[in-house]
Amino acid sequence: MHDQFILFLGALLKQTGLQELWWGNLVMIAVGCAMVYLAIAKHFEPYLLIGIGFACIVANVPGSDLIRQGGLFDYAHQGVNLLILPPLIFLGVGALTDFGPMIANPRLVILGAGAHLGIFVALIGAKLWGFSIQEAGAIGIIGGADGPMAIFVTVTLAPHLLPQISVAAYSYMALMPLIQPPVMRLLTTKEERLIRMEQPRQVAKLEKIAFPIVIAIIVNLLFPPVAPLITMLALGNLLKEVGVVERLSHTAANGVLNVVTIILTVAIGSTMSADTFLTVNTLQIVFLGLVAFVVGTASGVLTAKIMNIFLTKKINPLIGSAGIASVPIAARVSAVVAKQEDKRNYLIYQAMGPNLAGVFGTAISGGIMLALLRAG
Amino acid sequence: MLVPDTLQGALLLSLIDFFLSFVVIAAIGLLLAAFPWLDRIAKPDVKDPIKD
Repeated sequence: MHDQFILFLGALLKQTGLQELWWGNLVMIAVGCAMVYLAIAKHFEPYLLIGIGFACIVANVPGSDLIRQGGLFDYAHQGVNLLILPPLIFLGVGALTDFGPMIANPRLVILGAGAHLGIFVALIGAKLWGFSIQEAGAIGIIGGADGPMAIFVTVTLAPHLLPQISVAAYSYMALMPLIQPPVMRLLTTKEERLIRMEQPRQVAKLEKIAFPIVIAIIVNLLFPPVAPLITMLALGNLLKEVGVVERLSHTAANGVLNVVTIILTVAIGSTMSADTFLTVNTLQIVFLGLVAFVVGTASGVLTAKIMNIFLTKKINPLIGSAGIASVPIAARVSAVVAKQEDKRNYLIYQAMGPNLAGVFGTAISGGIMLALLRAG
Repeated sequence: MLVPDTLQGALLLSLIDFFLSFVVIAAIGLLLAAFPWLDRIAKPDVKDPIKD
């Protein structure tokens, strides 16, 4: 009787994941809990971190069927692997975004390229650290501060680095209000931070309708590797601007975006298993991501200062850092830092121009990278 | 793959990518600068009835 009891208990134990549990799982469960805590208590990107953190916890419970091949989380991950989810996110983002500030102030779009030096510094740093050129390209794109684009490029160039790169990209985007201001203040004088910019012109409806069509043509013509993302962004924006398909626009901006966000966050979190995440590579990628964000912020501010040498109507260099992308967080940071110097200086609309251009800057960099680094 | 998997390859890729990003973004900026014309073309000239 006693022997049988032990036998049954042993058999039952074998059915559980307890035997496969190791300290790495406990560390990653703690990481997942920390993400959920930061989302709830500190409001750090809660729409992303709740799903990522929860899936990270589940993925590190040994024996969970959800992350095995054919499991529910595995199907979510297929949506990333097949590059379906990131373009759908862009559809929703397009339906939410007003590109008016970018259209109204075309000279500021150059900041969308200027603030991307971080991509290349991280790329070269990764190569120096021994990563392959494809891995280095994927790591560099963290500096584009664009989550779906980082996922898109990584899945194509270095899919095994997806958990580290997506977590680093989204984490630093959430931490931009802490990372950017010291760099911005360090590189500008008080007089520069006090510069007031005039309000841009009103943009006509026809211009807003033409914009996504023109962008879709340019991107499909010149950058086919990233066309799925930008084309869907353009479609979402067209649905918004035409004003005759409000139900579709509303669905793209709400229903579709919310559903895809849930699936995407679960897919990312489910890849964060201890055996793939707890490596030296992860620390290197996290460090290089930080370097990319700091250098990108600095190069954006410096590009604005260089522009001021040639411009008669000076621009506030604080809007340069918004060119890094991460819409609208980086634009908000520019506006907040400007307001700390002068409470009546409202820079948000002006900062949105380079901020939106940054999305295209990242897409162009990612497109060129994919074109030159993709195997075959 | 066109770019060699070396440090020199990484430097070359960065240089080309950063330069081309500026060129393409500047071209988009130029295109956007022409956007106000769209509105002018679409709107027919409204004659001033008082002058006429």
